[in-house]
Amino acid sequence: MPNYSRRNFLQGCSYAIASMAGARLSNLAFSAQNNTDTLVVVFLRGAWDSLNVVPPIDGDDRGLYEKARPSIKIPADALLRLDNQFGLHPALSPLYDLYQQGKMAVVHATGLNVDTRSHFDAQEFIELGTPGIKNTSTGWITRHLQSTPSGSTGLVPAVSTNGLPTALLNYTPTVSMNTSSDFSQWDNGTVAQQKEALRKMYGGNTLLEQVGRRTLDALDVVQPLVSQDYVPSNGASYNDDDFGRQLQTVAQMIKLEQGLQVATVDFGGWDTHEYQNDGAGGYMAGLLSSLGSGLANFYQDLDSGYTNHLSVMVISEFGRRLVQNESNGTDHGHGSVMLTLGGGVNGGQVFGQWPGLSNEQLYDHADLAVTTDFRQVLGELLTSRLGNPNLETVFPGFSGYNPLGVFHG
Amino acid sequence: MNQKLHRRDFLKVAGTLAAASLVASCAPNNSSPTSTLLPDTTTPLPPTFPPLQPPTASAPLAVIALNRMGFGPRPGDVDAFNALGSSDDERLRAYVAQQLNPDSIDDSEFESRYAAAGFETLQKSADELYADHIVNNPYDMNDDTYWDWYSKPAYELVEATFLRAVYSRKQLVEVLTDFWHNHFNVYFWQDDAVPMLVSYHRDVLRAHMLGNFRQMLEAVAQHPSMLYYLNQNNSSDAGPNENYARELFELHTLGAENYLGVLDPNTIQKDANGVAVGYVDNDIYEAARCLTGWRVDDDLGDWEDGVEKSGRFLYYKPWHDRLNKLVLGKYIPADQPDLQDGRDVLDLLARHPGTAHHIARKLARRLISDVPSEAVIQAAADVFLANLDAPDQLKRVVETILLSEDFRLTWGQKIKRPLEATIAMLRATQAEFTRLPSGVSWMSSLMGQAFFERRPPDGYPDTMEAWANSMSVLYRWNFAVGLTDNWMDDQEQQRTLRTDLRAQTPPEVHTPAALADFWIPRLLGRPMSDENRQAVIDFVRQGYGENDEMSDEDLDYWGRSMVALILMSPDFSMR
Repeated sequence: MPNYSRRNFLQGCSYAIASMAGARLSNLAFSAQNNTDTLVVVFLRGAWDSLNVVPPIDGDDRGLYEKARPSIKIPADALLRLDNQFGLHPALSPLYDLYQQGKMAVVHATGLNVDTRSHFDAQEFIELGTPGIKNTSTGWITRHLQSTPSGSTGLVPAVSTNGLPTALLNYTPTVSMNTSSDFSQWDNGTVAQQKEALRKMYGGNTLLEQVGRRTLDALDVVQPLVSQDYVPSNGASYNDDDFGRQLQTVAQMIKLEQGLQVATVDFGGWDTHEYQNDGAGGYMAGLLSSLGSGLANFYQDLDSGYTNHLSVMVISEFGRRLVQNESNGTDHGHGSVMLTLGGGVNGGQVFGQWPGLSNEQLYDHADLAVTTDFRQVLGELLTSRLGNPNLETVFPGFSGYNPLGVFHG
Repeated sequence: MNQKLHRRDFLKVAGTLAAASLVASCAPNNSSPTSTLLPDTTTPLPPTFPPLQPPTASAPLAVIALNRMGFGPRPGDVDAFNALGSSDDERLRAYVAQQLNPDSIDDSEFESRYAAAGFETLQKSADELYADHIVNNPYDMNDDTYWDWYSKPAYELVEATFLRAVYSRKQLVEVLTDFWHNHFNVYFWQDDAVPMLVSYHRDVLRAHMLGNFRQMLEAVAQHPSMLYYLNQNNSSDAGPNENYARELFELHTLGAENYLGVLDPNTIQKDANGVAVGYVDNDIYEAARCLTGWRVDDDLGDWEDGVEKSGRFLYYKPWHDRLNKLVLGKYIPADQPDLQDGRDVLDLLARHPGTAHHIARKLARRLISDVPSEAVIQAAADVFLANLDAPDQLKRVVETILLSEDFRLTWGQKIKRPLEATIAMLRATQAEFTRLPSGVSWMSSLMGQAFFERRPPDGYPDTMEAWANSMSVLYRWNFAVGLTDNWMDDQEQQRTLRTDLRAQTPPEVHTPAALADFWIPRLLGRPMSDENRQAVIDFVRQGYGENDEMSDEDLDYWGRSMVALILMSPDFSMR
């Protein structure tokens, strides 16, 4: 094999490496971004049954809840009390400590202000950030990264752990990777020369070519991680499941300190039309346990100097019907619940105006109503934690921004 | 119920475990990463991303046809296409006619390979699959052998689907089967009918894909795979399960573009036949009521009267809601004969112009480009509506799309999805396998797409935005290397996947330029841009002049890697 000369090496090196070297040489370049949070968005696909995640624990609504869900209600004495009105599903117990420490908040009765019970429409409306409009050409996170005053010049500004989500639509600097250990280019002995040739071949401006260049850049940064066994901090231990692996990857990317601003994580399987639970156990409890344990370990891992600039949002496309069906499941509903974790969260509280569960209080006489537009919560996050006041760009057409006080600025 | 949950939980993890256990067998030797620091003098440049531009390249009609009506050309396919006539028009018509009449195609090469593969379960009827692999599974449920036997038909189906896509000459059949599987998606690991996937694929999708849509719709609605997947199996008058009914409207027929939201059905405009122009939530609730009692004959525990365990479709009258309903503005009276309420719903949907447009748009997106023209969609929808009762309705719709101007005149406005890219590489390199090493499926899964593993009911996405991401691109590259370096063997199961690229290279080809100019058209069916061709030559020459004679060793080593490079190019991913 011919020698790979220094000249070739320099030619093959991209502006990516140049910019990384620059970043290391000058921390100033990152100081602006370091004052804002890294946002981690966990999207629960399939519409989680928010009324069983944060059910009423006392009062009239508890009675209505139990009556509507004779075989799938979560027993009141199994719930972890959040306040005088609501409890948390016991499978989320790993998050309860964080709630009590003020690091986690709950926003109830959130969702879309448009009428849809379609998974795919609702997911698109939320991720595009334009409820009711499906032909928007960029996602809300795309527009945030494009409009944020601090810029997004880090080497890896956005990571998605499951393909490219709609929230990042047309944001070509995104790096997608299942896990950092999978993110490795196979070498038959000529990989350096292949990369050099690929840089030329992927030199154009089509979407595919831009993604190809971004992949080559990211490989230079991430692949050195592959040979190292990652040891989480503070004794954290991720579950050996998809969600645990994805969060571990995000933690690694945050600790790289290469300007990661947003990471997206997908978690599917929440469309529980049948056999969703058996008291506090069963199928959905398994999902919640994975969710709770994953997030708690993620937080613990990053509580090594990173959580003061970390915001995690947990969101799903809508909630499920109050009344259960005959298959011990629930059909598509409306209002949902959002969780948020991080050093900047005014935690230990349940936010949002509770609309109630009596028939006339329900949306379409069937579902939990929406009293907090999801954009209220994300808008406050953008303003208070991500340093981006350009709400009209990120959420065009959204008026009536009125923060609930979920975050401190 | 506990047993059900147990099984479901097992299946949920099984997919993950199966994939993870394969990592070891195909992991390549990683080289040490390149150095990561440059001298201090380098100015840090933020990555800038110019606006996206549409690809401008065009391709010969043979390449368009072979990449859209199939999984890309094998060596010789372009010549065979070009021999079909004296003009593009003649050739395309002849090829479309041949592909739309698959029984006329001599497929003996594939058939002998299929016979040699010796699949054990794929010839079984639906009844046999249910009896052998579910009711009478001979193994202990607490043992792995039970689950191996339970999932064996589906695993064999995945392998056979690869085998067909790579070797069968009935390429359009394979493209359309894949299309319809995604359109009427069911998930490999979902629920209680994993072995029945074989029957769903063969008896429903393959049986109807060139036939009549209304008939296909009912065959889907009555198949255990769908009845379980969308929970129709548990829908009774006491509390209908809406899952299937909703996706029947939103995904299978009218499409979300005809969803008008949560509105009073009385406010919806009607067409000349008195049918609502779109649907609202109430239509879904009413349709769910119409379909109550459509279930599987699956009384495995012997506790239901009038239910056996044949695994067949069962209309179970005790669960049916006998009262009147209103669907899409049409009154459905109480106490209709058995099955009639559900069939009325399927009739309304299958004959609706909204359905015709939805199906036409999706087929055109698959066969032409990400954003097909409204003209070709309209033409295909018109044919759909003019042939509602024709036994070859779908064949005529597909033919309309394939013979359209748009089909010939568009190129590169779509990229190959991971499975297409994987299979196209196997075809282009004349890869040899009979039983597929499991690593191939694992690789396509890392790219984001494995056969039958889309869990949500919408099927894998079909536009470039969904697949142009770094993980997907990286594993295309890795597969190209693994394939050309023959790393994909599965030693545990003694399965091999081999390419012999040197043997395919004519002996007179022994300079860098000649190597590139032999392999580029062989793999792509067309030339590359001058810049990309030069990049290929510069890669392979490694100190040689373009027209210098390369050593035997370099021809082998760099030639093989050059083939990988061409497979890794953006040109190869275009469609």
